[in-house]
Amino acid sequence: MSGEPCAIIGVGQTHHKSKRLDVSLAGLLREAASRALTDAGLDWPDIDAVVLGTAPDAFEGVMMPELYLADALGAAGKPIMRVHTAGSVGGSTGIVAAHLIHARRHRRVLAVAFEKQSEGNAQWGLAGGKSGGMGAGGIFAPWIRSYIRRSGAPEHIGWQVAVKDRLNALKNPYAHLKIADISVEKVRESFMLWDPLHFLESCPSSDGACAVVLTDEAGGRDAAARGNPPAWVAATAMRSEPTSFPGRDPVRPQAGVDCAHDLYRAAGITNPLAEIDVAELYVPFSWYEPMWLEGHDITGPGDGWKLVESGETEIGGSFPVNPSGGVLSSNPIGASGMLRFAEAALQVRGRAGEHQVDGARTALGHAYGGGAQYFAMWIVRSTLG
Amino acid sequence: MSADEPGAPGKTFGEPVAIVGYAVSPMSEFAEQTEVQLCLDVVTAALASSGLGRKEIDFTCSGSSDYLSGGTFTFVANLDAVGAWPPIRESHVEMDGAWALHEAWVRLLIGEERTALVFGSGKASTGELSRVLTLQTDPYYLAPLGTDPLSLAALQARALLEAGKATERDLAAVAARARRAAATNPLAVPAVAAAGAAAVGDLDAEIDALLAAEYVRSPLRAHDTPPVTDGACAVVLATATVARRLAAEQGITPVWITGLEHFVEPHQPGMRDLTDSVSTRRAGEAAGLADGGPVEVAELSALHSHEEIILRGALGLPDTCEVNPSGGALAANPTMATGLVRVVEAARAIRERGARRTLAHATSGPCLQQNLVCVLDEASTEEAR
Amino acid sequence: MPVSAETKYGPSVTTNTVEFPYRRSLGPVVGGFVAALARGQITGVRSTGVRGGGRVLCPPLEYDPDTGAATDGELVDVGPEGTVRSWTWVAAPDARHPLDRPFAFALIQLDGADTAMVHAVDAGGEDALRAGLRVTARFRAQPKGRTDDLAYFVPEGTETTDPDVVDAAAAAAGAAAAGVSTEPVQTMEFWSSLTYKEAVSPATARYARSMLAGTLLGQKCPTCAKVFVPPRDFCSIDGIRLDEGHDLALPDRGVITNFTIVTPVPYPGQKETEPFVRVSVLLDDVEALMGLQPVVDIPNEEVRVGMRVEAVWLPESERNAEEFGNRGWGSTTGAISGWRATGEPDLPVERYIDRVF
Repeated sequence: MSGEPCAIIGVGQTHHKSKRLDVSLAGLLREAASRALTDAGLDWPDIDAVVLGTAPDAFEGVMMPELYLADALGAAGKPIMRVHTAGSVGGSTGIVAAHLIHARRHRRVLAVAFEKQSEGNAQWGLAGGKSGGMGAGGIFAPWIRSYIRRSGAPEHIGWQVAVKDRLNALKNPYAHLKIADISVEKVRESFMLWDPLHFLESCPSSDGACAVVLTDEAGGRDAAARGNPPAWVAATAMRSEPTSFPGRDPVRPQAGVDCAHDLYRAAGITNPLAEIDVAELYVPFSWYEPMWLEGHDITGPGDGWKLVESGETEIGGSFPVNPSGGVLSSNPIGASGMLRFAEAALQVRGRAGEHQVDGARTALGHAYGGGAQYFAMWIVRSTLG
Repeated sequence: MSADEPGAPGKTFGEPVAIVGYAVSPMSEFAEQTEVQLCLDVVTAALASSGLGRKEIDFTCSGSSDYLSGGTFTFVANLDAVGAWPPIRESHVEMDGAWALHEAWVRLLIGEERTALVFGSGKASTGELSRVLTLQTDPYYLAPLGTDPLSLAALQARALLEAGKATERDLAAVAARARRAAATNPLAVPAVAAAGAAAVGDLDAEIDALLAAEYVRSPLRAHDTPPVTDGACAVVLATATVARRLAAEQGITPVWITGLEHFVEPHQPGMRDLTDSVSTRRAGEAAGLADGGPVEVAELSALHSHEEIILRGALGLPDTCEVNPSGGALAANPTMATGLVRVVEAARAIRERGARRTLAHATSGPCLQQNLVCVLDEASTEEAR
Repeated sequence: MPVSAETKYGPSVTTNTVEFPYRRSLGPVVGGFVAALARGQITGVRSTGVRGGGRVLCPPLEYDPDTGAATDGELVDVGPEGTVRSWTWVAAPDARHPLDRPFAFALIQLDGADTAMVHAVDAGGEDALRAGLRVTARFRAQPKGRTDDLAYFVPEGTETTDPDVVDAAAAAAGAAAAGVSTEPVQTMEFWSSLTYKEAVSPATARYARSMLAGTLLGQKCPTCAKVFVPPRDFCSIDGIRLDEGHDLALPDRGVITNFTIVTPVPYPGQKETEPFVRVSVLLDDVEALMGLQPVVDIPNEEVRVGMRVEAVWLPESERNAEEFGNRGWGSTTGAISGWRATGEPDLPVERYIDRVF
């Protein structure tokens, strides 16, 4: 990436739950944003600009909520942008914020993403208020069946991912789902929600928010000098393709392939499996872990599920995926992508607590959305250059 | 792949950015075309006017609103207007297209990308616009009261009158001039253009006639309010290297963006000075309004008559400045594209009518809550030096 | 979706009403404001911080609007009298407004507050309004735990004839008698209902007409040769316009290439209660795929990739053009009840399973 280097010096998130009835919309966002500011050692007036991301406005019933939320985010007298790129929005929001730094428009930017699913009903929203909605899983389930068939993966791969991410969530104080007795049997025995996806292979509905504070090279070095290790943004990428056209491959979408290659090229990565220490991938349904390992050319075709089966994507494995518990454990939709980006930053800052991957120096944050057609990714590193 | 592909040699940071193409759809009170078709036509026409092909565009950004069209993720369909295949680098803001322009401009400043396509679209006729926009207001204190945008605008107009900063006659004068301008603007909503064409006699007589009308929300009359409008608008941007090539090879006249800034104010109308637009003033200052020659044409997103008076004052526009020669938002107000249309009108004044320096303004939220100022010049800042 | 047809051979305008009862959780400040309303008390909150510190904000917020700094969270009493700073007259209220008779919206600065709040004034007529007018609050006689328990304001000295509201003193007395809780109110419903209307595009109208006549219709892009169902009048790959000349009649037989079985979850408007199947059907002879199709007379557990199927058309008298909207791409509802097995031998799974578009 040319332009001004960008450092993440603050990360904050809410305690994600199915219903955060204790807070207003503003309160939910401020909980995440205040934690990010505290982490960065900054206060509201120190921020130059705010970028807000959230999924469809109909989920909360507030149109263009950046207007109502502007002053709640300390944005009065500052620029505020509102990003919406479907499920990838949390990631895109981080990228739009990073670009404000890269372009030297601002020195300190607060990026915030949220969803308060309990205000409305996402299934209702996705169905446009009509009966017989497919839900997101109903759209993705056939593609998962196609992947299983194509790759020859055994059916327990999905169950294994579902268990791994829920075990990781037990180490993350902010995670929504805490299923202490999670097991392959429990996943397998859970009801079939969207054939071939079992209930426990699917993400929950969550209320939650996530925030990151981004700054320039001087700000990053200053934070480091104060004992706050920054995560340096090594590369970002976004790609999109149309929803549907004859011959489109939704199992390995070309936009995902191209996005990954844009990213690796910009970060100087030639062997992602070897050079990336930890990945936070957007996995709302268990099978998407091997699908994105292959779909982003981290492994070769048909090798993603083998990496999962061998246990290498667990914390302590050679390529840990979603040590935070991932979307399978917390899904405030609009924030889910930013949580991936933020968790990647926490890892290279060595600030991931119990779910820290030892020696993580290069991390991948990833989000996708729409009909697996919108992609946003970033690589963060513990060192600059 | 484009010859100007990111990563190609010669990428430079902070090159000036120019508008090299644009197009505006016909504006109507009820478009029979779908939003995708409106977008497709302006995207095609804007590219044609830029001399660039679809596949030569490095980055695409659009602005639209789910709540206007009544679905979730409705912007996803607009991707079809771009022909996003092979997959493109793309983003979307749930804001007026003028903010999509800002996002694209920031990316071009970084220097990784050299060309961008920006579009904004809205079919305000689809929903009941006044009810839809009520959902933009504070979800606890305002939306439950049914604080419609017209009522909030009227509170601002009354505040201006009470402060002695304008009279009802001043408001009618703004409306009369807008209608006359609309009569000569082929892109004005036909009913407004017809009203302007029907106006006979001198301006004073017309103002008298307008003042005889009933209030719709005192002190606002129907002619002080914008028409519900369906429309779309597209702009093509290029960095100086590409813009100068297009100028040399294709005879395109680049219009340079010399300043582009936006700020937001507190949301509650009772918690700010409604008789001023502080964020507009600061955006103008930050965009370097005072640093060049006089602005000859200003296109302001004044959705209601009194807003033009507030905005003029905030920007300190000289008497010689021609304000809204297009008729402005009173002639056509395609919500989510109105601000981007102002940018196009300001660019047209330079490219087609020989103006040297012009200004475009965009707004969002109740009572001018958020404001953007874009300063355009016939010469780039480099050339000016 | 509820649709109105305007012509016999295809609707020209579709309408769609989208309704939902949002549940707002209020948080401590708005929740405290609402709780106090039940006692006939309007509250503000004191701002902290360097800029603007110490002023009383009403309506109360969790943050100072200028700085973002947290307010001190202590609600302080303001009003119930205040002064109109600006106003407008709503001569013809509609269903979303707080009053069903002409009223004013006004910016009202309550006594003891440093900011103004937007609220309604029941003033009888527009002539009564002016900046500087003194007003006092009226509260809902039977509070519902909502922000609109603050019903509206009236000019000071106005006798209230509306039986649904009381003044602050009566509200306080009533609350004391009833032992109303002082705990912040946690949630409040917000009912949203919006009606949308859109012209049916020419492509959709042609599709609807063809479906009524019992023929599936697609459109072939001359550039990429891909076939879209139904016609869109543009190609999403090439970004070019198409028209009626590119329409293509399609066979109504094909093969199931993929499917899912959805276990429906309840939500407002949901009518499905039992697991239902949706299949993708790749049509014979042309490379055209119908997504999200229902099946007829095939038990859920028997649906499989490779199964040969044919469309089951509704009797002509039961076909309904109103079902075809601009966004219902691939929707056959209204002309086809679903797809049933032909009984022919299955086609090989591996050749079809990837075809979901």
